[in-house]
Amino acid sequence: MQVTTVKESQLKLKPVKSTSPWALARRKFLRNKLAMASLLFLIIVAILSFLAPYLTTQDIARINIGEMSLAPSGEHWLGTDKSGRDVFTRLLYGGRISLIVGISCTLLVILMGTVIGAMAGYFGGIIDSMLMRFTDFVLTFPFTVFVIVLNAVFFGKLNGLLVLILVISFLSWGSVARIVRSKILAEKENEYIMAAISIGCSPFKVIVKHLLPNVLSTIIVQGTILFATMIVVESGLSYLGFGVPAEIPSWGNMLSSANEPDVLQSKPWIWIPPALAITFTILAINFVGEGLKDALNPRSRR
Amino acid sequence: MLKYTIRRILGMIPMLFLISIVVFSLAKLMPGDSLSGEIDPANTDPQYIAEMRDKLGYNDPVHEQYLRWISNFMQGDFGKSTRYKIPASEIIAERMPNTIFLGLMSLLITYVFAFLMGSYAGRKPYTLGDNFISAFNYIGLALPSFIAGVFAIYIFAFNLGWFPSNGSVDISLEQGTLSYWISRFHHVLLPAIVLGALSTASYTQFLRNDIIENTRKDYVRTARAKGTPEHKIYRSHIMRNSIIPVVTFLGIDIGLLVSGAIITETIFTYPGIGQLFLSSVTQRDYPVLMAITMLLSFLTLFGNLIADILYGIVDPRIRLD
Repeated sequence: MQVTTVKESQLKLKPVKSTSPWALARRKFLRNKLAMASLLFLIIVAILSFLAPYLTTQDIARINIGEMSLAPSGEHWLGTDKSGRDVFTRLLYGGRISLIVGISCTLLVILMGTVIGAMAGYFGGIIDSMLMRFTDFVLTFPFTVFVIVLNAVFFGKLNGLLVLILVISFLSWGSVARIVRSKILAEKENEYIMAAISIGCSPFKVIVKHLLPNVLSTIIVQGTILFATMIVVESGLSYLGFGVPAEIPSWGNMLSSANEPDVLQSKPWIWIPPALAITFTILAINFVGEGLKDALNPRSRR
Repeated sequence: MLKYTIRRILGMIPMLFLISIVVFSLAKLMPGDSLSGEIDPANTDPQYIAEMRDKLGYNDPVHEQYLRWISNFMQGDFGKSTRYKIPASEIIAERMPNTIFLGLMSLLITYVFAFLMGSYAGRKPYTLGDNFISAFNYIGLALPSFIAGVFAIYIFAFNLGWFPSNGSVDISLEQGTLSYWISRFHHVLLPAIVLGALSTASYTQFLRNDIIENTRKDYVRTARAKGTPEHKIYRSHIMRNSIIPVVTFLGIDIGLLVSGAIITETIFTYPGIGQLFLSSVTQRDYPVLMAITMLLSFLTLFGNLIADILYGIVDPRIRLD
C-alpha cells in the first residue's frame, strides 16, 4: 500500500521541462554585457526621442535672430545653431525622425524581402526564376545613385518623408530576399514540410506556420543589421541634401550644417552632437546585432 | 572559363538595356527638360522656343525620343550639358581622371594597410596589438563615411593643418611640374583614406580570420614538424593561401568606390564624377545626369562581373558554367 503511494507522489512530480531554443537564446543574450548595455542605451535614446515634445520647451521651427550660433551654456545645453534654434531640442526631435525612418525602412525591407524570398524559395520553378531575375535586376542598381535620382523625381510631389522611406525600401530588399530564399530552399526539404503538405495544408499555411518560424532567427539578425544600415542611409542622404526634407530636423540634416567651413571649423557644438548620436546609435545596434547572432546560433558557446 | 566570361558579358547587355530604359524614364519624370541647353538662351520669344522644341524632337512620342537618345548614346554622343553648354562627354572626361586617381589611391591604401594589420593580427591573435586592430576594425565598419570625413577634416585639416580641406590641387601651381603632382597627391590623401577605411577594416578582419584558420590546418602542422622556421611558415605557406580570397574583393570594391565617391567627393569638395553627379541632379542637367548614371551602373555591373570571374580563377574548386 505504502509503496504505491510513493509511486503516485513520484508521478505527480512535475516533469523537468527542457528549455526551448528561444529561452536558451534569451538567457545567452541576457548574459552578454556589451549587448545588454547597448540595448539599454538604445532604449534610452528611443524614449528621449519619442518623448521630445514633453521633455523640451524650445521651439524647433522658429528662427531666433537674437540667439544665433551661441556656444553651449546653462540655458542652451548644447548651444544654438545658425538660425538660433536650440541644438539639444533639435537633437531629440532629429532622433525621432531618424529612428522612425530607420524602423519603417527596416520593417518594409524585411516584409518585401521575406514575401518575395519565401515565395521564390517555396514554389521554385518559373516563379522562382522570375522573382530572382527581378531581384538581380534591383540589386544591380547602384543604390546611392538611384536613391538620389528617385528622390529628385518625387521631391515636392508627395510627402517627403514617405517618399524617402518607400524609395530606400524599394531599392534595398534584394539581399534579404536572397537570404530568405536560400534558407527556405534548405528548410523545405525536411520531412515535416512534406507531412504538412500531405495532410492538405495550403501553401500559405505551410510558409507562414512551418517555414517562417524556422528562418525567423536569420531574419531577426538581418533586421538588426539593416536597422543600422538604414540609419546610415537616411543620415547620409540627408547630409547630402537628398534625404529628409530640410525643414524637418533629423540627425543627417543637422550634420549637413558641417558643409559650411565656418560651422565645421569654429562652431563644433552644432555638428558634433548629431555626429556622435549617429555613431553611438549605430555602434549600439551593431553590438545588439552581434549579441543576437551569438544568442540565436546554437553552435556558439558563450 | 572563357565561355563563362563571354556569356556573362553578353548577359550584361540586356541588363544595361533595362537600366537605360529606367534611367530614361526617370529623367523624363523629373520636372523640366534639357531643351534650354540646346537653344539660343538670349532669344526668349515663346514662338521661337515652341518652334525649336518641335524641331529638336521634344514633342515626339516617348519611345522615339528614347530610341534617338540611346542610339546617340551608343555612338558616344551623350548630348549637350544644359549648364555648361558643352558636350556632356567633355565634362565627364575632364572630371574622370580625378575620380580614377582617388579610387586607385584608396585601393592602394586599403591593400597596404589591410595587409600589414591583417598579417600582424593573424600572427599574434588575442594580444594587445590584435585587440587594437580589432577595435579599429569595429570603428571602421560602423562609422559611416560621411561622419568619418567630417571628423577627418575637422581634426587633420583644420586643427592640425596636415592636409588641405578641399579641392584636388593647389590652383597656383603649373600643370606637369613635380610640385603640382605632390600637391595633387597631398589633396587626394585624406579623401582616399576616408574612402578606403571601410574596405580596409573588412579586408583586415577577413585576412586575420583566414590566417588564424589556416594556422590550424594540417599542412602547417606538417611544415612545423619538418622544422620549417616559423617566419617562413607564415610567409610562404599561410600567407599565400590567405591572400588569394582577398583578391576576389576587388570586384565588390569597384561598386563600393562608385557610391563612396559620391559622398566622399562632396565632403571634400573634390572635383570628380561623384560631385558632378550631385550637382547635375540639383541643377537638373539631364544629359550629364543620364550619362553619369549609365556610367556608374555599368561600373557596378562590371565590378560584379570581375568578382565572379576572379572567384573562378582564384579557386578552381568553384565551377563556373
